[in-house]
Amino acid sequence: MPNIGVYVCHCGLNIAGTVDVERVAEYAKTLPDVVVAKHYKYICSEPGQRMIQEDIRAYGLERVVIAACSPRMHEETFRKTVAEAGLNPYLLEVVNLREHCSWAHSDQPEKATEKAKELVRMGVARARLLEPLEKRVISVEKNVLVVGGGIAGIEASLDLANAGFKVYLVEKAPSIGGRMAQLDKTFPTLDCSACILTPKMVDVAKHSNIKLLTNAEVTNVSGFVGNYEVTVLKKPRYVDEDKCVGCGLCTEACPVKIPDKFNEGLSQTHAISIYSPHAVPKVAIINPEHCLRLKYGKEVCGRCLKTCEAKAINFEQQPENIQLKVGAIILAVGADVFDAAKIPELGYGRFKNVISNIQFERISDASGPTGGKILCPETGKPPRSIVFIQCVGSRDKRFHEYCCRVGCMISLKQAILAREKLGGDVEIYICYNDIRAFGKGYEEFYRRARDLNINFLAGIPSEIRSAPDGSLCVTVYEKVVNKLLEIHADLVVLSCGIVPRKDFNKISETFHVSRSSDGFLLEAHPKLRPLETSTAGIFLAGACQGPKDIPDSVAHASGAAAKVIELLSKGEFEIEPLKAVVNPDFCSGCGICKSICPFDAIEMKTETANEEKLVAEVIEVKCQGCGACASACPTHAIKMQHYTDEQILAQIHAALIAK
Amino acid sequence: MSLVDLMSMAKPNEEMRKKILQKLHEELAYCFQCAKCTSGCTAFKLLELVPHEIMRLTKLGFIEELITSEIIWTCATCLKCVERCPQNVSPYHVIIALRNIAVKQEAKIPEAYLKAVSQILETGLAQTIEKVTTKKMESLDRQKLHLPEIKHPTETFRTTFLKILEEHEL
Amino acid sequence: MKLPVFWGCRILTSQYAYEMSIRQVLPRLGVELVDLREMHCCGDYIKSINMFAATYMAARILALANETSIKNLLVPCSRCHFALSETQHILEENRNLKDKVVALLKKEKLNYSSDIKIWHIIDFIHDVIGVEFIRQKVKRSLKGLKFASHVGCQTIRPSSIKRVDNPETPRKLYELIKALGAESLEYPEKLDCCGAALMSSHQEAALTLAGSKLKALQELGVDGLIDSCPACHIMFDIKQKNAATIIGGKLAMPVLYYTQLLGIAMQINAEKLGLHLNQSPVEKILEISSS
Repeated sequence: MPNIGVYVCHCGLNIAGTVDVERVAEYAKTLPDVVVAKHYKYICSEPGQRMIQEDIRAYGLERVVIAACSPRMHEETFRKTVAEAGLNPYLLEVVNLREHCSWAHSDQPEKATEKAKELVRMGVARARLLEPLEKRVISVEKNVLVVGGGIAGIEASLDLANAGFKVYLVEKAPSIGGRMAQLDKTFPTLDCSACILTPKMVDVAKHSNIKLLTNAEVTNVSGFVGNYEVTVLKKPRYVDEDKCVGCGLCTEACPVKIPDKFNEGLSQTHAISIYSPHAVPKVAIINPEHCLRLKYGKEVCGRCLKTCEAKAINFEQQPENIQLKVGAIILAVGADVFDAAKIPELGYGRFKNVISNIQFERISDASGPTGGKILCPETGKPPRSIVFIQCVGSRDKRFHEYCCRVGCMISLKQAILAREKLGGDVEIYICYNDIRAFGKGYEEFYRRARDLNINFLAGIPSEIRSAPDGSLCVTVYEKVVNKLLEIHADLVVLSCGIVPRKDFNKISETFHVSRSSDGFLLEAHPKLRPLETSTAGIFLAGACQGPKDIPDSVAHASGAAAKVIELLSKGEFEIEPLKAVVNPDFCSGCGICKSICPFDAIEMKTETANEEKLVAEVIEVKCQGCGACASACPTHAIKMQHYTDEQILAQIHAALIAK
Repeated sequence: MSLVDLMSMAKPNEEMRKKILQKLHEELAYCFQCAKCTSGCTAFKLLELVPHEIMRLTKLGFIEELITSEIIWTCATCLKCVERCPQNVSPYHVIIALRNIAVKQEAKIPEAYLKAVSQILETGLAQTIEKVTTKKMESLDRQKLHLPEIKHPTETFRTTFLKILEEHEL
Repeated sequence: MKLPVFWGCRILTSQYAYEMSIRQVLPRLGVELVDLREMHCCGDYIKSINMFAATYMAARILALANETSIKNLLVPCSRCHFALSETQHILEENRNLKDKVVALLKKEKLNYSSDIKIWHIIDFIHDVIGVEFIRQKVKRSLKGLKFASHVGCQTIRPSSIKRVDNPETPRKLYELIKALGAESLEYPEKLDCCGAALMSSHQEAALTLAGSKLKALQELGVDGLIDSCPACHIMFDIKQKNAATIIGGKLAMPVLYYTQLLGIAMQINAEKLGLHLNQSPVEKILEISSS
């Protein structure tokens, strides 16, 4: 029987204030196999830890029981303590006399002391049966997959590439740049978005450590942290990326007109076109749903083929499945804009002059459908009055309860741009709930907007109607001056919120990441672990985790890159041995454990000896030690290391024996 | 409450406030004063009904001034505020609750409602049966129009209805 | 099919034309109307007095409907439809309240049931009978006529409980008018309230609301306003002259119940449809449709 040492902590008055720690230590001495039992003021202190280490040597201790605060506080610390003294760290048992005893029963010291004795007795019973365990070291691939080529994906890719990692950047659209590429200027500096973004996009394209895969999607992910196997489907552009020079002549030749997605439906493009004004790569792409030749045959059309001097067009191009091996994955898949058609009373979709904030951005952009002039979509004339309406689809229990974080700043920016571009005569109104200008330089930006004679109306309109003269009638109750105001607006801009993408369901499934109740991708801990997911090796960057502005997205992305570097830089990492283990002799191959495992950590393998028999095998790196498989196994073939049935039963038995 | 309105020196009625909060906790808790209800209120332009103001006054407990005012009887019950509120609260339900309190406190209420009560006690219906006059000055009633006779409710309806009203259970 | 119907106070005491036109039209669509054993107010007016009493009254109507053993109930008035629908919803949400109400009804030997499907004329004809069936029943097409539809506020709101149509873009009455061959109009004031509820306390305001809507439609040049609720109809039709006086203008807008319009298209006798009881100039419609 092993030599057991028991140490009861006072924890100052936290435990000793209620529990008679001396008596508990005295009691511990009476338990079988306990060769030393002491009480001490603060065991976690340096002298406290040294005392234990000396005792391990002096008494030849083979098990240590520390009765103190919750193991969540100091179990790691104490494990290191005993390991330094030469004892396997998993031969330590921490008994919680604080949260589970003194703090819970502070008004019943006598009973609390009795309970403390019982808890110690239980701890000793378990300690007796603890087994030494070793951390496992697994090797990792030093490649990284970044999914999504917006500013977050770009930032993360560059950080990782510069740190010496090979990055695969997979982007669904034909060009990287994401939402930021659609913006005209950025708040609060009014930097030209393209000017600060495109150098980074070019860096990504030219970086020797980054392999850019555009018009591509991740279709399958298997494996585990450090060792992911990813399948990427590169969809055909029908244009050779190496030959196309981006001259745009094919676009002019194409007879088919389609709505321009990049310009949010405000203009048309052609079935063959370059996706965006500053596209990287600057290569044309053919839309197979609209191209006449791809739909109806080569006799129907071939104009682009004839026009292309670089001979880059290839209608025979096939989709490509690319297999990648990566050690970590960063999801930087971004977010969508709320579809205001869901609020029919605001007239979006019915009235052409009711537009969304992202549409205003395209209008304001010099490379957009109006060459940067603010013009009403219906008339093509500049508006004499513009009304911004805040919180469309946000802070709204009917759609999205959260605040979209950037709506206020975007409208302030757009109001300022409208003033600068249209001059002093245009009337600009912002109907708001609150003005949230929380970031660096943001409140100053709000002041700048007020300085430009922009009217702030505290109140939200209920509906928008068309007036007989063709203008839009916005009725709003201004609650500061207590007046019902009617505004005849030429242009209404709806401040649509940032919302989760529709394909998050697919992403959630493919990458095994959860979603939070608001629909965004779920971080491991909202405060302390905003970059990781509960799936080891998969990280989040940017707006896919929650609405963000550009500085926050960049910081988030760099953080994710740092997390990846932390994970992969040593080429290997350790995992805790608190896992499930299958005894193949008892395993009947039923597969119940595999179906129950929430972490997909069990594989059914054929036995080498008997190829017909299936045996469950735990993938240690994925196993989180939850125990569901062990309790479900009908033949008790699964053992939870460090939490075996015998250990737990011994505790129960110890709890129930008569004194 | 340690609150006082310095213009009128009125203090909130804590008892009424607690009672109404019990019934309508969510309505009064979640309203964040966006004023969208008032922006679209059918009764605002003609009768100056400001639903979001009523929400805030009720939450603070200034209920006496509301139940003694005509304003709570100006709601057209069109339910637009209920439909469009981004916090899923209903100024309409708060106004109805205030009306119920006004009745219980025997504040002044529009006569038509009292007439409806007495009519219901008498015939079960809220209005008296009318003869209609056509443009040709013909006077017609249900019988002349071959419509079936109205089957009035049994006495148990009347007694139950009266009992509920007397008990003032809201 | 047999269909129990709850008329409500306004139809029973003055809006006879609605009852007449419904009794004419529905049997021709294969529906046999069943009257409830007793008739009393749904509780609409009483909500402002005492919500519990109003809930009791509505629940009692549903209990009376339950006696027919038919799980459908037609409620042609938008006020009654909301009163019964909301009560049904509240009683499912609040167990305490339901127990109290059920107990009171049991004393009267009435059994409340929560599974009565509450219909309005609009959704019953649109969803159950079907627009196509209506189209086939048209004997006299109303082609050439242009109508505006008015759906009562309480039939389409609040959408958090099941209502008759979409609250912001109601289309059913619109489609039902088109099925008769007529043109139906979308107009900015479509969702504006008729003001009926304010007749109990602020008559001028109520009439201003009705009058403004009629005036706007007059300016749009529609041939008539089609409604489907006795409260709205009283405002637009019976009180049209009063409304005109209040807003200071002339109003000459024909206002008909949908079932009256449907009856015209089915070539049912005008008097049987109660068209002589409408106070607005509906003769214009009859003239045009018979030419």
